[in-house]
Amino acid sequence: MSEMQFTPAPGLSVGVELELQLVRAHDLDLGRDAQDLLARLAKRRLPGAVKPEITESMVELNSSVHARYDALRAELATLRDAVVKEAGVLNLRVAGGGAHPFHNWADRRVYPTERFRAILERYGYLAKQFTVFGQHIHVGCPSGDDAVYLVHVLTRYVPHFIALSAASPFYQGEDTSFQSSRLNAVNAFPLAGHMPFVRDWAEFLDYFGKMRGYGIVASMKDFYWDIRPKPEYGTVEIRVCDTPLTVARAALLAAYAQALAAYCLAERPHAPSRAIYRVNAFNRFEACRFGLRGELVDPFKDRRKRIGEDILDAIAAAMPHAERMGGAAALGELAADVRRGYSDADWLRARYAASGSLRDVVRESSELWAAPG
Amino acid sequence: MDLSFLPSLPIALSQPVLFGALLAAGLIGGEALRRYAGLPRITGYVLAGVALGPHGTGLLDAETLAKARVLIDLSLGLVVFELGFRLDLAWLRRNRWLFVTAVAESAFCFAAIFAALTRFGYSGVLAACAAAIGTATEPAVVLLVAHELRAEGQITARMLLFTAVNTVFAYLALTLLLPFLHLERSLDWAAALLQPLYLLAGSSLVGAAACALMLRLAAWLGKREDRQFVLLVALVVLTIGVARSLNLSVGVALLALGMLARNFDARHALLLPLRFGYGEQLFFVILFVLTGASLEFGALAAAALTVLAFIVVRFLGKALAILLFGYPSGIRPGGAGLLSIALLPMAGLAVVMVNDTAALYPAFGRHLAPVLLAAVALLGLLGPLATQFALRRAGEAHPEAPDV
Repeated sequence: MSEMQFTPAPGLSVGVELELQLVRAHDLDLGRDAQDLLARLAKRRLPGAVKPEITESMVELNSSVHARYDALRAELATLRDAVVKEAGVLNLRVAGGGAHPFHNWADRRVYPTERFRAILERYGYLAKQFTVFGQHIHVGCPSGDDAVYLVHVLTRYVPHFIALSAASPFYQGEDTSFQSSRLNAVNAFPLAGHMPFVRDWAEFLDYFGKMRGYGIVASMKDFYWDIRPKPEYGTVEIRVCDTPLTVARAALLAAYAQALAAYCLAERPHAPSRAIYRVNAFNRFEACRFGLRGELVDPFKDRRKRIGEDILDAIAAAMPHAERMGGAAALGELAADVRRGYSDADWLRARYAASGSLRDVVRESSELWAAPG
Repeated sequence: MDLSFLPSLPIALSQPVLFGALLAAGLIGGEALRRYAGLPRITGYVLAGVALGPHGTGLLDAETLAKARVLIDLSLGLVVFELGFRLDLAWLRRNRWLFVTAVAESAFCFAAIFAALTRFGYSGVLAACAAAIGTATEPAVVLLVAHELRAEGQITARMLLFTAVNTVFAYLALTLLLPFLHLERSLDWAAALLQPLYLLAGSSLVGAAACALMLRLAAWLGKREDRQFVLLVALVVLTIGVARSLNLSVGVALLALGMLARNFDARHALLLPLRFGYGEQLFFVILFVLTGASLEFGALAAAALTVLAFIVVRFLGKALAILLFGYPSGIRPGGAGLLSIALLPMAGLAVVMVNDTAALYPAFGRHLAPVLLAAVALLGLLGPLATQFALRRAGEAHPEAPDV
């Protein structure tokens, strides 16, 4: 169980993974050039890493571990520029967003590694439908028990991350009416959902050992939970975000996660409770469907509240911690976006309304991704 | 009894009969070859043409072939337009090594064929015309094979791009060689210089005018794929007709139309990409059957060595350029050889160019046309296999796509 040994990470560090769309220049549909792109990127000295993902139409950017928001943002911009430049050599565009608006999932080809082939073998068409693009945020934890605490308590804030990142209103050529349709593709997997209500790391190890004993999982990677502990990194990983349309917004979300985790660990405002999971499915749906305009049930105060409003309250509570860690400006920017009701999903819909063509939406979204900032 | 309602003998065969018969023959030939010999349908279309042509049953004689020229122009026009539409200048600007590779691919191939043919004792102008024609890869074959294999990736994209570039190169080179042909026939200087100018400028202008009209109408129609498809076919056919009436080059006009539509649609009025689908298949079949009927096999025996040399140096010219410059342009190791193989096909475009050049310059028709048509015969039959092999080997064909 050595890989399940919880390796403490430097206090409240953050790291980000971003799954990106590789789009062909000539028709703006998804390409399948991940291998050629990765081979080119391998020759460059870059911070972090760029890795393959389940299908050949995607790559994943990994930042390195950061203590401060501005360093993370700068590094993500460096990675973005490198990927956009090398993609240009291959006549590919790169775009954010949680789903490609009109690709046909049956056209996707699984990236040729043993693990991805095994996923295709096991999950069938679900594997190809899994060509959706998410942002994962890692927050460093001092111990396994703290990680378990954070997973439970951050679940209360899952609707925030969904609403703030939502960027997949179109799927398979149609407006889904959802702000984030991507999570519907994740929900289909048998090991999606959330961590069971365990009380501490020891209890979690017990649970994990049983699941592995049954042959249900081989490693932590097999759980597609909304938030999961990642013992070998010493982090808690938030996995519900769509990849935003810009790296700037991806960095804002990371700063918010960092501040929220700091607030929860330092002030322990909530005790872990099964009540969180009672309302979780409803809250999560509201966030996916309506974004900031949806409502959530606060399981600790037993009342309904607009998600946007709840985010502003949480930002206010976490702000002192953000100030300490250099993330105050980021939280301010995020709060301003919430106040004016901005979301990437609405931006995509507005572009579609203006042009009437999903190809144009992809073109403009790839231009937005490549823009400096 | 009055039997005047019966047709009088012999029965006159009309254009629809020709069109339908060509389609049916091609379809049957293609399917039979696929089913019983495991060879590409395209090869079957060409063989059906050979069987119908002067060297087979003779059902398609020279006169009928001349009448069918409008069908060839139409089919090739649609193909060349689509090719121009794939010529992405922004990519060439962004990736300078790609530009170098594409230009070298044409230039080396031209130079190699030219050098070989002059060594075989052909005059400079004749050899240059043949080299220009040989530089072009058959667009119909690469487009059709890529489409049927659902091929996707860097080798496929570059194969289509290089085919577009070498087709443009071939048209330009042939046009620029016209003054020399004229001078050998001792026409006057003014005509010798004015004709290529008229051809290039006129054909480009017709293409540009059609492009302007197309973009205007596309913006007005809105982004509806069905309507834009009709618009596209209308303007492609119109351009073919206008270019023919004005004695211009149909190929140059349509390449210009495609390239301009692709690269100067700043407001993105056009939907991308425009696929002809089933409609295009019709024209592909016609094109390949007529290509088959136009082939010559005489030189295969009479000038076997020349034909073989032509094919070999053509391949070496292309391969050398791609091997030299391909890697810095972003081709993965091993990809350069496959790309060179994918670019082998010759077919209908070469036949049209040979016939047009021979019409202007009978000496070409007597001396080099048979060699070229024999090479087209070999590469028309083997080319589809080569392209299919290359795309499969490169891992870019869809794993579930059946053979072409």
